[in-house]
Amino acid sequence: MNKEEFINSLRRELGSLPQKEIEDILYDYEEHFQIGLSKGKAEEEIAEELGNPRLIAKAYKTHYKIDNAENNPSTRNLLTAILAAVSLGFFNLIFALGPFLIIVGLLIGIYGIGFSFSIAGIGLFFGTLLKPLFPRSIYLNFYPTTSLSFGIGFAALGILILIGCFYITKFLYKVTIRYLRWNINLITR
Amino acid sequence: MNIQFKKGVLELCVLSLLTKRDFYGYELVEYISKYINISEGTIYPLLRRFRKESYVTTYLQESQEGPPRKYYRITEKGKETYEELLKEWKAFTIGVNKIIRGELDE
Repeated sequence: MNKEEFINSLRRELGSLPQKEIEDILYDYEEHFQIGLSKGKAEEEIAEELGNPRLIAKAYKTHYKIDNAENNPSTRNLLTAILAAVSLGFFNLIFALGPFLIIVGLLIGIYGIGFSFSIAGIGLFFGTLLKPLFPRSIYLNFYPTTSLSFGIGFAALGILILIGCFYITKFLYKVTIRYLRWNINLITR
Repeated sequence: MNIQFKKGVLELCVLSLLTKRDFYGYELVEYISKYINISEGTIYPLLRRFRKESYVTTYLQESQEGPPRKYYRITEKGKETYEELLKEWKAFTIGVNKIIRGELDE
């Protein structure tokens, strides 16, 4: 492989990174080739010593994806980071994936509970208020004060649960990123 | 040698050299591969990560021959990391040597 082939191959493998990032990375290798050539080495020799462009690109991409997930939080970026880490062959990550999915499932469940409580509370509250208007279609066998205060109580509880979930989600996101980074550092440092 | 193990050692070697003076990438690669058999391409991703984690800063400097070179200078944070890695490394080699030499505590 000569210099051009090496650089082109590396550029192709880095494909999914932003253009600026790619140029920045390639600069280091251009410099490396130029200095090597000025010391009398052949392009093929330098490329050979550098190693496989695909593996080199992988090292950059994994770190980039994790940084990206940390700086621009989104489910998509997080999933990309997890996939990148798995593709590097972290078997313990696959084992951790099960518990992770269970936690995510539980969290979705709790979101559901919070949401239902809120809806139930709001329904109860307005149902009580509207009952005099639709005596036939709304059936409530409670004192209006009881159902009104229960309505407010349910709605408040539901919203509290939702807020709690929101914070847990944020925390989970952070912990996941930290775990991925720890994993990667363990292996690629 | 095990690749992952080598990468950890590589991190220590690069930081160690940088505590002595500033280096440009090619120099680091040349120096290290003189003593350790590595894929030279693994050094640049490492340097880039060091820069992102503020272990090193970079600057360009003209050279007599060829293009300006990117030099790496270690930061305080980098020095601290180096000290930690060095401590780990020493404890590790002492342990391994004990086992190899058969100095059992029994």
